[in-house]
Amino acid sequence: MSTPTIPRPQILGAGPGGAAPPERGAAPRRRTARRAGGIPRGMRRAVALSLLPGLALFGTFFLVPFAVMVATAFADWSGLRLDWTGLANYRALLDDPVFFKALGNTVFYAAASVLVQVPLGVAVGMVLALRPPGWKAIRTVVFIPFVISGAAYAVIFSMFYNPRSGLLNNALAALGVRGDRDWLFDSATARWAVAGTFVLVIGFTVVLVMAEITSIPKEVYEAATVDGASTWQQLTRITLPLLRNVIGTAILLRLLVDIGMFDLVFILTAGGPDDATATLALYAYRAYLTGEWGYANAVGTVIIAIGLVLIVSVRRVFRIGERT
Amino acid sequence: MSKTSTTAAAAAAALLLASAAACGAESDTGEVVITCGTCQESPTDPFLQYNYEAAQRFNEEFAGRYRIETIENANAGSSDDRLQYYQRLALADDLPDLFQLNSGEIKALQETGRLHDFAPALDADPDWAGTFQDHAFDALTGGGGEVWAIPQQRDAIGIYYNADLLAAAGYDEFPSTWDEFESLAAVLESEGKTAIAMDGDWSTMLMWVHLIGTHPGGAAFLDEGIEDGDWGSDDAVVAATERLRSWHEAGYVNADAFSGDFQNAAAAYLTEDAAMVSNGPWFVATNLTTDAAAPGLYEKTGYAPAPGWAAGERGAIVVSGAGWVSGAVEDRELEAVHAFARFVSSQDEVLAQAAATGANPPVDVDPAAAADAGLEPLATGLVEQAADLAYTYPHARVHGPAGFSAAWKNLWPAYVEGDMDTGEFLQRLADDAAATGLGG
Repeated sequence: MSTPTIPRPQILGAGPGGAAPPERGAAPRRRTARRAGGIPRGMRRAVALSLLPGLALFGTFFLVPFAVMVATAFADWSGLRLDWTGLANYRALLDDPVFFKALGNTVFYAAASVLVQVPLGVAVGMVLALRPPGWKAIRTVVFIPFVISGAAYAVIFSMFYNPRSGLLNNALAALGVRGDRDWLFDSATARWAVAGTFVLVIGFTVVLVMAEITSIPKEVYEAATVDGASTWQQLTRITLPLLRNVIGTAILLRLLVDIGMFDLVFILTAGGPDDATATLALYAYRAYLTGEWGYANAVGTVIIAIGLVLIVSVRRVFRIGERT
Repeated sequence: MSKTSTTAAAAAAALLLASAAACGAESDTGEVVITCGTCQESPTDPFLQYNYEAAQRFNEEFAGRYRIETIENANAGSSDDRLQYYQRLALADDLPDLFQLNSGEIKALQETGRLHDFAPALDADPDWAGTFQDHAFDALTGGGGEVWAIPQQRDAIGIYYNADLLAAAGYDEFPSTWDEFESLAAVLESEGKTAIAMDGDWSTMLMWVHLIGTHPGGAAFLDEGIEDGDWGSDDAVVAATERLRSWHEAGYVNADAFSGDFQNAAAAYLTEDAAMVSNGPWFVATNLTTDAAAPGLYEKTGYAPAPGWAAGERGAIVVSGAGWVSGAVEDRELEAVHAFARFVSSQDEVLAQAAATGANPPVDVDPAAAADAGLEPLATGLVEQAADLAYTYPHARVHGPAGFSAAWKNLWPAYVEGDMDTGEFLQRLADDAAATGLGG
């Protein structure tokens, strides 16, 4: 029995018409064209030139504003004047109860995402990956809220929660439950009402999870079936562990949205009542409106610092990017 | 780069520079071009639409000398971040030559030092200055006598009421005291009707101002005291605030009275769920005569001064709280700006604006011309009544801090829900409202 020949891809420069590889013992050729893995010398200028527009845009619209934000967080800056004040803005943050209220609300929304939205999305994604009847229609319906703009979504929910004419109170009244609660402007319910608008937007996680499950080799499940594993066992012992990467990614993306949450809250409640729904981003915006630009940038810097911590932490916990 | 492409790029740059130069204040024909940030067409905002039409008429009348170019401006209408938008433009030395702001915003924006002072122009033309009604410039004047704006209107603001709903509740006339008002509200509430529609923002603040302004000493607070930080020690303010809160507790107001959206309050009145709502004369054009109103509602509607704390002590808000301001600095542009200011404050134009928007003229007009113009009788009726009222007072937005509205929306629901007492509410309201303003 002859050993089958495994076809190998042709390597540029080494196949027919290309230069033959140097024979063993022969003197190495001078590498004049390029260093291993580098850019050919003759193309370096062209590559650099082609990168320039992108770098200029990146510098102009990200690096410069970022540097201005970080620097002016140490100043009393109103646009009209700029006085360097050191850590005064950060000290003021620590003394500002509204800042901590906004921070608490932001953490609350993030927790709602991590504890409800993502797990729900993963669960639905795993179930839909089993291809139950109507799974395509369900996937579409679940995904639709994700593509609606935040502003439109907020307007829809402000109507939904309207205490006089909204669907929620009318439905509750039909069930004999008190039907005049102002969900968005009652301090006891406002935060929950805001969180309720996004925790069911699970379409993105569902699609991520379904795509990831598709990439798991069928042989793994076939072997598990042969070994007598039930569907539940396959979901919990095979699928879920293999989804670690994608769950981590979904959590990370959602957290980054949450720490910058603005439009939804701004339209629904403008942060009220008594800052019960205000987020860090909204708080920074308010400071900007009141001419406290340095203070606003201190809040912005805190948001970015939290974002960096989250990115590093979630990547470590879920070992995102590592092979499963 | 080849020589050809280099030449083409240089030519394109030259063309761009040439076209940029052509966008300057003066065209080749010598016509002075000025920009207007609040003159765009609007199917929904009658004030913007009037401005657009006025600018077209101005361009026609002054063709060859002056021309207004309209800037499409997403912040032209009323919005919370309108002030901040203009503050940014001011800091970039890029304010429009003409635009409109309310007095609170003007007060904050003039701190940038980029607003034009109309006082010298008015001083130089006493005939023009003399056409304006008494106190028309009060809310638009700076501490040094600067006149930051040419008033756009001078309105009396009272309370709209559904005469049929009041009659059904046993009231043939609008209540003359707040006690009567509350008795009426109690009857309406018992019949399942909302007595007074509010929104947690504009219309709620109007009722707060009515309650303050008709209280002895309240008008003085709205004129001057509101600039101080200690609102909690003012008897009129404390009494008014607590009385307004009690209406929420008693169920006299609509369930969605905190939404911050006037259309919710308007909807309650327009569908005849609510018997009363406070707003300015523009309410007729923007709501009452639209398809959103119940059939025949306009005919049932009356417009009354606010009741008083005692008999015979009724009042109304009288405002000229918005005006035309200018960021122009060049002499030729200012000449055009002044020409437009005279144009829009002419009798023909103020009557055209009144007919289009319901806003009343800031200048004295000939009664016969006013009668011929077919002005809204509800609005003109209240203006006539206002002359004989015990109290007239400005809106809190006129002399109050620019951040008043945002602070009110944030704190008022929590106060009504009992999260803070009156003293804390008023102190925080004063503090938060005063925080707005560059370098504040």
